[in-house]
Amino acid sequence: MPGLGYLFDLGTVAYEEAWALQRSLAAAVGQGAIPDSVILLEHPPTITMGRRTGEDELHVPADADVALVETDRGGKSTYHGPGQLVCYPILDLNRHGHDVKRYCRDLEEAAILTLAEYELEARRFDGLTGVWLDAPPRKICSIGVHVSRWVTTHGYALNVALDPAPFTEWITACGLDDASFTTMSAELSRTVTVDDVRRHATTALEQVFELALERLPDSDVADLWAQPNHDRLAEAGSVR
Amino acid sequence: MATGTAVDVVMPQMGVSVSEGTVTQWLKAVGESVGVDEPLLEISTDKVDTEIPSPAGGVLAEILVQEGQTVDVGTVIGRLDAGEGAVASTDAASSPAAAEPAQPVAPVAEAAPAAPAPPTEAPPPAVAGEPATDGERTFVSPVVARIAAEHNIDVANVPGTGRGGRVTKKDILAFVESGAQPAPVAAATPAPQPTAAAAPADGHELTPGEQAQKMTVMRRAISEHMRHSLETSAPVTTVFEIDMSKVVAIRERLKQEYAEQHGVKLTYLAFIARAAVDALSKWPWVNGEIRGNQIITRSFINIGVAVALDDGKGLIVPVIRNAEEKNLLGLARAVEDLADRARSKQLSPDDVQGGTFTITNPGGYGAIMGTPIINQPQSAILDVEAIVKRAWVVTDENGNDSISIRPIMNLCLTYDHRLIDGAYAAPFMRDLRINLETWDESRY
Repeated sequence: MPGLGYLFDLGTVAYEEAWALQRSLAAAVGQGAIPDSVILLEHPPTITMGRRTGEDELHVPADADVALVETDRGGKSTYHGPGQLVCYPILDLNRHGHDVKRYCRDLEEAAILTLAEYELEARRFDGLTGVWLDAPPRKICSIGVHVSRWVTTHGYALNVALDPAPFTEWITACGLDDASFTTMSAELSRTVTVDDVRRHATTALEQVFELALERLPDSDVADLWAQPNHDRLAEAGSVR
Repeated sequence: MATGTAVDVVMPQMGVSVSEGTVTQWLKAVGESVGVDEPLLEISTDKVDTEIPSPAGGVLAEILVQEGQTVDVGTVIGRLDAGEGAVASTDAASSPAAAEPAQPVAPVAEAAPAAPAPPTEAPPPAVAGEPATDGERTFVSPVVARIAAEHNIDVANVPGTGRGGRVTKKDILAFVESGAQPAPVAAATPAPQPTAAAAPADGHELTPGEQAQKMTVMRRAISEHMRHSLETSAPVTTVFEIDMSKVVAIRERLKQEYAEQHGVKLTYLAFIARAAVDALSKWPWVNGEIRGNQIITRSFINIGVAVALDDGKGLIVPVIRNAEEKNLLGLARAVEDLADRARSKQLSPDDVQGGTFTITNPGGYGAIMGTPIINQPQSAILDVEAIVKRAWVVTDENGNDSISIRPIMNLCLTYDHRLIDGAYAAPFMRDLRINLETWDESRY
């Protein structure tokens, strides 16, 4: 019997705004005020740096129109931009295995299942968290997670249809200086849209995390959106 | 507060599959007070950063594991001076010292191995001489930390121009350049330097004279592919000796023509690939694959050619598609094109996928025998060895034997015995040999 979860199916959201939303939701999930939740969205061009980002990973051209954000997620630097499906599951890992490594494997599995819907056979590489196509290895999905009191924030970023050049030209993404990056559109030689991928991504997440995701009506989302305050958010959630 | 009880902070268990964690950031400095369950530090495992709440309220008395260091789950990483009556949290992530009899009570003894500290430069923890008073902890990249360590600089003394006053690589280099005085090593935190032996490689210690370098993505991929192949297949190798006299003569005659008229280098590999394609079409299982419980054969032959990249950076196997449609010239051209593009990193994903049979060519280095590993999910791989002049017994049409000097080449075929028996592989190799020894210019 899958548990109930909320799905926040959002459009393009600025990184820091989405981060605030995640923290609000994480507080609410941690208090049991709302069930496990999943955010799907796109970001405008943004480079994010994890705690272990090295100075030499960044080589952004001066004229690049891109935001730089330092985050609290694991992993190193990465790039977000339109054409990339970003998935932030806000889950209480006490209900999902109580194991941060297993959680990473589960996230990878969700991305692999999503890609399989497009007959893209993706895989993991031991020690290189993320999802890859192989021969030669090229990264299609990056993962970075933050856990506080066993509640997760951040998640995965799946390259659907974007120019992957920033991963290598603007930054040394993930600190991997020899990795190449690819996208679903490039692999399939046709344009795949983020909106098309959303539903497959949702199904895959439901399957992997045994959740029945309920898409929150836009009005509800707007309500939650307006409340960066944890307590009020928790209240709003418990009304349901 | 000094009279409070000491409470150990241990590296928490973040799941059954997690055996170690890296301290990424202490959120409190030594001497700073912290409430029970208030975030005390952050650790990272895999690509997950986790906030660790304080096991008790009190004052952070000691930091035993510095930022950037990786230790096993259960290792004491710090110690709190808990206030009187402070209630230790029951959070599994932490354990009061008394409740952990298995852990040595004196964590310093455990953390610092009995071995004398190596005199070689012991890179101090990520942030050298952590300023105890900084309100806003600034992020320092590993590069900056390393430079700081090399020059014995306290990063806190370096003016930062990065966002939020962050000290950038440029800042620290400028600081070094300016000949600034090394900061007196903060007496307050003579970090016990636990695992600060020569740069730990992935948590493993190096002995003097050893060097560590990160495995590249390609290296890891190759290592997995090879292991996977041996776990999957039942490889057997058979070796044939080929008299290459005729091929050598024909190549000598044609190579100039190929270069001048077609701009193509005519290699032995092209001859061998052409002869192999012909034999493969007669022995389709060698070009086949096991898929589940089925045997897959094909009407096409896609030849993978293993190309070593410069400087030992790895190996890539670009594929000549529909090799059965190509003559000697077409194959020579394809081999040259793929090798060039492989070395200049111009291959597209399509160029390296869908191979059905692989040829590897260590003969260029003078090798005469090899047992290559099958490129999964294929069923066989052909190893082309050096052409060596040998004393060879030849028999004339009258049945008279004589010794002649002949260019002899060994071909080694590793095949998957799950699918292919010796009685199938050997005649394939026999036909391949005949194709080469009796090269028919009108056919190829």
